[in-house]
Amino acid sequence: MSEPTADQLRRRALALFGRSLHIRTVDTGSCAVCESEIRLLSAPPYDLHRLGFFLTPAPRHADLLLVTGPAVRAMDNALLKAYEATPDPKAVVAVGACALGGIYEEDGLVHGALDRVLPIDVYIPGCPPSPLALLQGLLVAVGRLEERVAALSFDLVAEAER
Amino acid sequence: MSHAITVLVLATGGLWLLAAMTGLAAARRELWLRAAALASGLGGACAVTGGVLLAIHGHATNVSVGSNVVGTANLRVTPLAAAFIVLLGIIAVAIALYAPRYHSPGRGTALYTCVYNLALIASLVVLAAGSVVTFLVAWESMALLSYLLILRHQEREGVARGAFLFLALSEIGFALIVAAFAILATQTHTLDLATMAARASHVGAGWRTAAFLLALLGFGFKAGVVPLHVWLPAAHPVAPADGSAFLSGMVIKLGIYGIALFTVTLLRDGPAWWGLLIMGLGAASAVLGILYALMERDLKRFLAFSSIENVGIILVALGASLTFAAYHQRAIATFLLITALYHAVNHGVYKTLLFLEAGVIEHTTGTRDLDRLGGLIRRLPRTSVISLIGTMGIAALPPLNGFVTEWMLFQGLFQGFRIANHTVGILIVVAGAVVALTAGLALNAFARAYGIPFLGMPRSRGAARAQERGQPIAGPALLAVICVFLGVGAPLVLTVLSRTAHFITGVDIHAELLLPQLTVIPAHTNFSGFSPTYLAAFILAVTAVPILIYLAGRPRAASRTVPVWDGGIRAFEARMQYTATTHANPVRVTFDPLYRPAVELQRASDDPAGRSGPVHYGFRVTPIFERYLYQPVVRAVEWLADRARPIQSGDVSLYLLYVFVAVIVAFAIYAK
Amino acid sequence: MAYWFLRGLGHGIVTTRYPKAIDVWTQTLPTPPAFHSDRLTLALADRLVAVCPSRALAREADELVVDLGACTACGRCIDEGRGAVEASGVFELASTSRERLVKRVRIGGGAG
Repeated sequence: MSEPTADQLRRRALALFGRSLHIRTVDTGSCAVCESEIRLLSAPPYDLHRLGFFLTPAPRHADLLLVTGPAVRAMDNALLKAYEATPDPKAVVAVGACALGGIYEEDGLVHGALDRVLPIDVYIPGCPPSPLALLQGLLVAVGRLEERVAALSFDLVAEAER
Repeated sequence: MSHAITVLVLATGGLWLLAAMTGLAAARRELWLRAAALASGLGGACAVTGGVLLAIHGHATNVSVGSNVVGTANLRVTPLAAAFIVLLGIIAVAIALYAPRYHSPGRGTALYTCVYNLALIASLVVLAAGSVVTFLVAWESMALLSYLLILRHQEREGVARGAFLFLALSEIGFALIVAAFAILATQTHTLDLATMAARASHVGAGWRTAAFLLALLGFGFKAGVVPLHVWLPAAHPVAPADGSAFLSGMVIKLGIYGIALFTVTLLRDGPAWWGLLIMGLGAASAVLGILYALMERDLKRFLAFSSIENVGIILVALGASLTFAAYHQRAIATFLLITALYHAVNHGVYKTLLFLEAGVIEHTTGTRDLDRLGGLIRRLPRTSVISLIGTMGIAALPPLNGFVTEWMLFQGLFQGFRIANHTVGILIVVAGAVVALTAGLALNAFARAYGIPFLGMPRSRGAARAQERGQPIAGPALLAVICVFLGVGAPLVLTVLSRTAHFITGVDIHAELLLPQLTVIPAHTNFSGFSPTYLAAFILAVTAVPILIYLAGRPRAASRTVPVWDGGIRAFEARMQYTATTHANPVRVTFDPLYRPAVELQRASDDPAGRSGPVHYGFRVTPIFERYLYQPVVRAVEWLADRARPIQSGDVSLYLLYVFVAVIVAFAIYAK
Repeated sequence: MAYWFLRGLGHGIVTTRYPKAIDVWTQTLPTPPAFHSDRLTLALADRLVAVCPSRALAREADELVVDLGACTACGRCIDEGRGAVEASGVFELASTSRERLVKRVRIGGGAG
C-alpha cells in the first residue's frame, strides 16, 4: 500500500476528530509561557469550545496530546505513560520552539526535541505561539484547515516573482 | 419421628465422644487426627439433620443417659434449641474440615482436639438439657473446656490474660445463673425444665423478676452484652482460629439461648419492660460493639467486637419480640422471634467463616495487624473470594443472609406503631434507628476489614509472600455456600422456622409470612414485602446484561493493555495507600467523646521548616468499661479481701475456735 | 433595559471569529522574518546567523537556512539586517512535517 497522501490524511483526521476533540496538555519541562497561551484558549477572546475543542485532565479521555517543553529526560516516564494511556486513534501536537528542537541541544538532562521521544503529527512553531496560532495548529490537526506554511518560501523576491 | 430425632442427637454425642478419644490417641499417630476430624464432622452432620428434623417436627423423645453412679443426664430437645443445634452441627462440620490443615500435628494438637470435641458435647447437652442439674453441669463443663481451648498456646503473650478474663467472667455469670435457677426451682418445687415451664406462671411477680434479672446478667456475661463483654476482645485474638470460631459462633449463642430459654419458655408472658430492657441492652451493645470494632487494628479483635455488635442485634430482635407479645401483637412477636433465631444462625455461619479465614491469613502472612497486610487477593485468591462472601453476609449486603435478617428486623421494629402505648412504640422505633446506625457503621467497618488486607498492595514482607498452598479451603468454602443458601433460599428457611416458632409460641404465622411467590412478609400483608430469591436472580441478571452487551458489541479491532493511569508517577508504593487507622479516621473524629483517645506525638526535633525527622504518632482508645466499671469493682473486692485477711491468721488455735463455733451454730439450726 | 442589552450584544462580543475572519490586531504579532534575498550578502548572512539567539538561522554555502520551528520571533535579525529582513506577518505556521518548516533562501537572489 502506498503512503497516504496529505489529502487522505486530512480527510481521515476530519472523520475522526472533526466534530469534537478532547485535548490533554503535557508539560515536559517548558518555561510555562506556552502553558499560559494554552490556558488563554479557554478564555472568551479565543474560546476553543466554540470550535468543539475541550481540555481534559485524563489521558484516557483524550484524543490529542498537546505537548510543550524540550522533553526533559526526567519527564520521560510520565510522558510515555500519558502517551500509552491515551487510546488510539490519537494525535500528538508539539508546541513551541523548545519542543521543535530549536533551543536546547540534546544532552544528559534533555532530549532537546520532542520528536526524539514521540511521533508528532503537527508542529506549532513560536515562542510562545499566540493562541490564534495554537488554534490554527489544532484545526490543522483535525483536518479542518489546510496548512499554509508549506506554500510560503519567506523569500520576498521569490514571492514577488510568483 | 420423635425417636429418630433423639437417636440422631445421641448419635451426635456419641460420635463426638469417639472423636475426642481418637483425638487423644493422635498424640502417637497423626492419622488418628484425621479420623477424629472425620468423626467430628459426621457428628456435626447428624446434629444438622437432627436439628432440622426437630425444627419441622417439633417434638423429640426424652431420654436419660447415665447411671446412678455417675448421675443421669436428662436430655430433652426443645424446638427453641433446634436452630442452635443446627448451627452447632454446621460449625462442627466446618471446623472438622478446617482443623487437620490448620493445626500442626503433635501432642498439643491431640489434647486440643480431645478438649474441643468434649466442648462440643457439652454445648450439645446444654441445648438438650431436660433438667436444671444437667443444664448447669453441662454449662460449667462447656465453660471450663472453652477455657482450655483458649489456652492452646499458653506460652504466647496475652493468652493467659485472655483465658483468665474468660473464665473469671464466666464464673461470675455462672453464679448468677445458678441463683436464677435456684429461685425458680424452689418456687416451682421441681428440677425438671418442662415442669418448671408449666408451673412458672404461678410464681410471684417479685420472684419472677428476680429470676429474670439474674438470668439476663448471668447469660449476658456469656453472650457478650455490653458492659459484660470485656472477655471477648481479650480472649478471641489469642485463641487458635477454630477455637475463636467456636467461641464466637457457638458459645456466645449459648448465652443467647439461655436468655431466650428464660424469657420465652420458662418465664413466658413477662411484662413489657423485660423486653424493653433487653432491647435497650441489645441496642447499646450493637452500636458500641461496632464503634469499638472500627478502631481495631488486630483482625481478630475486630471480629470479636463485631460479634458483640451482632449479639446486640439478636437481643434487639428478642427484646422487641417480647415487647410485642406483651402488647398482644402475637404475629409480629413471633416474626421477631424467628428473626432472632435466624440471625443467630446467620451470624454463627459467617462469623465462623471469618474467623477461620482470619486464621488462614495469620498463618500465611504471619500477622493479624491490618496495617501490615495488603494485596492478599492476588496471593490467596480462593480465600479472598470466600472471605468476600462472608464479609458481604455480615455487612448485610443483598442478596445474602445478613441482609435478609436485618431487613426482617427493621420491618418488625418499624411496626412499633401497632402498639397502643405510644411511648413503647416510639422506644421500639428508636431501637430501630440505633440498629440502622449500627448497620451503616458495620458496612464501613467491613469495607475496611476486607479492603485493607485483601486489596491494594502488600504493606509488609509477610503479606507479600503469602502462599495459599496447603491452607484449608473446604471448611470455609462450605460455610460460604451455606451463607448463600441461607440468603437466597430464605423462603425455604423461613418455612422451617415458622413451624418451629409455631411450636415455641403457639402462633402460626406461616400464611402471613410467605406468599406462594417466594416473598417474605413481615407478619402483616399491608406493610411491606420482598423476595430474596427474586432479588438474587435480579442481581445476577443486572450484572449479566452489561457483560453480555460488552461481549457481543466490543470493538473487534486490536486492543492494547496498558497499566492503569496513575498520573505519571514513577511507581506505586505500598506506603501511598490508606491504612486501617486512617480509613477509620472520620468515625474516630465524629465519635471522639466516646473514644477519648490517648494521643502521643513525638518529633525528633522541632525544626519549623518541616525537616524534623521521623514523627511518632501513637493512638490508643480509652477502655471505658475496664477503667470505670471493672477496675473499681476489682479494687473494692481487693479492699474487702484485705479487711478480711485477719480471719486467715495462720494460728491453729483460732481455726479450732472457728470449728467449735460452727458446730455450735449447726446444732442450733438443726435442732429446731 | 433593552438598550443596554442590545448595546452589550453589539459592542460586547470580544470573541474572535477565527478561522472565518482574521482580526486586525494580528498584524502586530511577532512573526518570523522574511528576506529580500537580492539584498542579502554573505557577510550580512553571517552577521544574521551570529545575532540569532536560537538556532533558527544557519548558512550553508550560498543559502541561508531558516528554521521556522526554532525561530522565537525575537526580531534581532530584523534589527540587524534592516532593509534586507523584515517581519513576515505570518503567524499561521503549523505544519505536519518538520522538514517543511525549514526554508532556504538563496543569498543574492536568483531562482529559489
